[in-house]
Amino acid sequence: MKLRLLALSSLRFYRRHPWQLLLAVAGIALGVAVFLGIERANDSARRAFDASSTAAREQTTHRLLPVAGLMPESHYVALKRDRRYVDSAPVLEVPVTLSRAGGPPVDVTLEGVDLIEETTVRGPRGAIAGGDPARLLTEPGAILADDTIAALFEVSAGETLTLRAGGETHEVTVIGTIADAAGSPRLVADIATVQELGGLPGSLSRIDLRLDPTAAAALADALPAGTVLVPAAAEDQALRQLTRAFNINLTALGLLALVVGMFLIYSTISFTIVQRWRSIAVLRAIGLDRRELLAKLLGEALVIGIAGTLLGLVLGRLLSAGLLELVLRTLDDLYFRRALGAAEPSGLLYLLSAALGIGATLVSALIPAVLASRREITSSTRSRLERGARTLARRFALAAVPTAVVAVVIVRLSESGLWPAFVALFLVLVAGAMLVPLATHVLMRRLERPVARLAGLPGRMAVRGVTDSLSRTGVAMAALVVAVATVISIALMIASFRASLIEWIDTTVTADLYVDIDPGWAGEIEPALAAIEGLPDVDGLSRMRLARITTANGELSLRAQMPGPEGYGVDVVEPASAAAETLLAGDDTLLMAEPLAYRLGLRAGDALELPTVGGLRAFAVAGVYRDYNTAGAELTMALQTYRRAFGDDALTSIGVHVAPGADERGLAAAIRDELGPERPTRIRSTSFIREVSLEIFDQTFRVTEVLRLLAGIVAFLGILSALMALGLEREREFAVLRSLGMSVRQLFAQNLAQTSLLGLAAGIAAIPLGSALAWLLVHVINRRSFGWSMDFVVSIDAMLAGVGMAIAAAALAGIYPALVGARADMGLAWRDD
Amino acid sequence: MTESLGIELDSVCKSYGTQVVLDRAAASIAPGEFVAVVGRSGSGKSTLLKLIGGLMSPDSGSIRHGPHELARMSETELTLFRRRELGFVFQFFNLVPTLTACENVQLPLALNSMARPKALERASTLLEQLGLSGCADRLPDELSGGEQQRVAIARALAHEPSLVITDEPTGNLDLETAGEVLDLLIESCRNHAATLIVATHSRDAAARADRILRIVNGRLEPIA
Repeated sequence: MKLRLLALSSLRFYRRHPWQLLLAVAGIALGVAVFLGIERANDSARRAFDASSTAAREQTTHRLLPVAGLMPESHYVALKRDRRYVDSAPVLEVPVTLSRAGGPPVDVTLEGVDLIEETTVRGPRGAIAGGDPARLLTEPGAILADDTIAALFEVSAGETLTLRAGGETHEVTVIGTIADAAGSPRLVADIATVQELGGLPGSLSRIDLRLDPTAAAALADALPAGTVLVPAAAEDQALRQLTRAFNINLTALGLLALVVGMFLIYSTISFTIVQRWRSIAVLRAIGLDRRELLAKLLGEALVIGIAGTLLGLVLGRLLSAGLLELVLRTLDDLYFRRALGAAEPSGLLYLLSAALGIGATLVSALIPAVLASRREITSSTRSRLERGARTLARRFALAAVPTAVVAVVIVRLSESGLWPAFVALFLVLVAGAMLVPLATHVLMRRLERPVARLAGLPGRMAVRGVTDSLSRTGVAMAALVVAVATVISIALMIASFRASLIEWIDTTVTADLYVDIDPGWAGEIEPALAAIEGLPDVDGLSRMRLARITTANGELSLRAQMPGPEGYGVDVVEPASAAAETLLAGDDTLLMAEPLAYRLGLRAGDALELPTVGGLRAFAVAGVYRDYNTAGAELTMALQTYRRAFGDDALTSIGVHVAPGADERGLAAAIRDELGPERPTRIRSTSFIREVSLEIFDQTFRVTEVLRLLAGIVAFLGILSALMALGLEREREFAVLRSLGMSVRQLFAQNLAQTSLLGLAAGIAAIPLGSALAWLLVHVINRRSFGWSMDFVVSIDAMLAGVGMAIAAAALAGIYPALVGARADMGLAWRDD
Repeated sequence: MTESLGIELDSVCKSYGTQVVLDRAAASIAPGEFVAVVGRSGSGKSTLLKLIGGLMSPDSGSIRHGPHELARMSETELTLFRRRELGFVFQFFNLVPTLTACENVQLPLALNSMARPKALERASTLLEQLGLSGCADRLPDELSGGEQQRVAIARALAHEPSLVITDEPTGNLDLETAGEVLDLLIESCRNHAATLIVATHSRDAAARADRILRIVNGRLEPIA
């Protein structure tokens, strides 16, 4: 009976205030939806990555790789003779360019395989549509195209494709299509066909092996010259680390949305308690004990939590489809360079999201419910409530200091690890939120006189309205500050990153033109390069060889360079202000990119072992340089050092330093002439590289834009909820003001001014908090996620945009309550509460 | 000071749904007159005051303040009319909680665009006259009920309106304070030559009026 009556009273309260219920449900629903959406997208991407790498490896346990370039086919023949290594399959991968009428050329991989060994070592490749694979062996120029290429070029079995490989153009016949199981878009052919098309007779990229541990150990002890044996899973490790960092960053953003949702619940429950305090006091006076009151309030929160969570699960499922597209595109573009497809995420995520949603609601409701159950029955006057709120605000402000100190201690004590960094970030956020009510009070006190001078008594009322409703608006303000600070911090981080990236590109891209050099031109190319160097518009050349070196730490990319007139073009950060030319002058020295140095825990002065033609050799890490290109060189060394160590004299590209005022187009044509028609190549200008880099950069942060918007919506709902409730509470005051002759427009303007002041206060408070968060993002989170260091840029634009967003959110949220208030029924002035 | 206006109510009808509250109510109130409106709870006293104050419109009939026919006035004109000509004193005081006593009194003056120093001087004088000079800087919830109602009277008279409308101005006060407040209200209105209309259950308050109107079955009947 008692429970029924209590439930009825709650039900009727919310029936009278449906928008309040709706906003509370919407707040938690959005929080859950954003979290679930992100986690589903993350989980799906993770599974797609796993499926992709497993498909690439299939049954392969190890790979025999050349130290640099390609390996001779004779290694494979020798292996096959040994019964222990009989399960082996040769692979030759050649980058080719497919051309089509009316569209740009497309770079794809032509993979040569031994069809007979394929199934033994790597397992069945999957269904082949439209043709008999045996034709790959018997027909010259026969290939299989994957579904992506088949769709892009609109080819089916029996049709031809034109490709460029090894500097020549070839016509190949598509005999069937295969599913896009793994890797970038690819064509598959018999290995002999690929060797012929690529002009690489007798060469292999690698040998895939299926080895038991004994055989693997034996082979490791007797490796063919210039090769290295690696477990097939090793090369995924670095990528896995990067994607894990990316996933954790997204998860943290999702959790942030949930935290903002929690503020909303806290705010709503607090507000409904304040609104109903008289009836609550009556219930307490007639015998409802503290525990029963607590149960009643938590019961309401539970129902709101369940409703919001269920709605959030549905919204999250819809949201994840859009987010997944963005996440996959980012991961695909930046890290994998494989065609990733979506995978169905785990159903457990729904349970986790539901538990988090309901749990977060109960936790958020607990504090106001406990405070209400402990409050004296007679403490119902507004001034007492506000005095209580101000005392609480001071206590929160005091508690913010140790909270921030704990955050600093966590960052200091944990040298690496992303989760401690995020815990510290959240603690700073909470500390900032705790300071908001007191900061608002102080700020409004300061603003009162100037505003009153400008806008008279109505202005003074607007300012006082903010301070005198701290018990109602404090938490909503904190939610708005948290959301705006997050937006400011991400904007500052992106501005810092962008500025550092532009500076890095300017340092790194020293040449004006980059000319691709086919590694197959090794040796014979030097006279042509000398001729290019002698062209009147050329100030100098830099020569580069990009290679992938297989090490105990996985496969690393190495750039060997003979610098041009502007040096190596690396931004050395350790030792400070050291020149790359000096650091690389010694024998067996190299420079290491920051992300790799961070991942391996190495610093300048340490050593790194690399497998050279003469066996494993320790190279001194002479310095560490900044590198934001996830697909870029992780190691840089002098070209002479590389050639001595790896016996590879091929080049991958040259950088052309153009004389000032020279015509780049004309020079590009002259370079093509010097290379001759038999060596067609691609020439890129620096501006193109900069453009592409910034495009990729912007693509990376598109996901955060969506999440920022969602966090903003949750905060907007929070402030709307508070303002609606506040407006309702002040209806009688509005009626009195209207009776006294205040016009609808004046009252509307006053209400709007008040909500805009709330927004202004939130925006101002968000600047220091956002800056602190941005500092953590730049110097701790990014460092621990990706190993990147960057300069912190104080962007006034980002800060002002944040303040503008806060004012706009509060003003927008204030329009409807202001309208309702301005049109208040003047008859209300005649009635009691 | 605004010259007081006579009030004419002619066949005023007002219903809430099927409930008829005023049925062809008619009355004339002379400028500067003190009229008490009495009647049972729910008889329509508050509705009558709201109609006279232009806070709501009658279903039919007309209400005139001197030359001004309320039904013909736009929302903006009504707002300006209330701002200049009317003062209200409510049963529950209804002071603006975020303004001090002095600022509450200044509010109608500010709405009428009086310069701040002049408004401050006028509010201080009124508060002093009402014995509240020590309370000027206090917020409403720091004042007693009697003090709050006196501030409300000061606010109602600050801009020297031609008509003061009050609904149970002493209904929330003890007997002694109620008497004091009523004295102040009547005296202040007389000093300002303002018409005073009081809706009340109090016989004492009604007895002090120039004239008593009783609402019976929606009609206004004079009590001799």
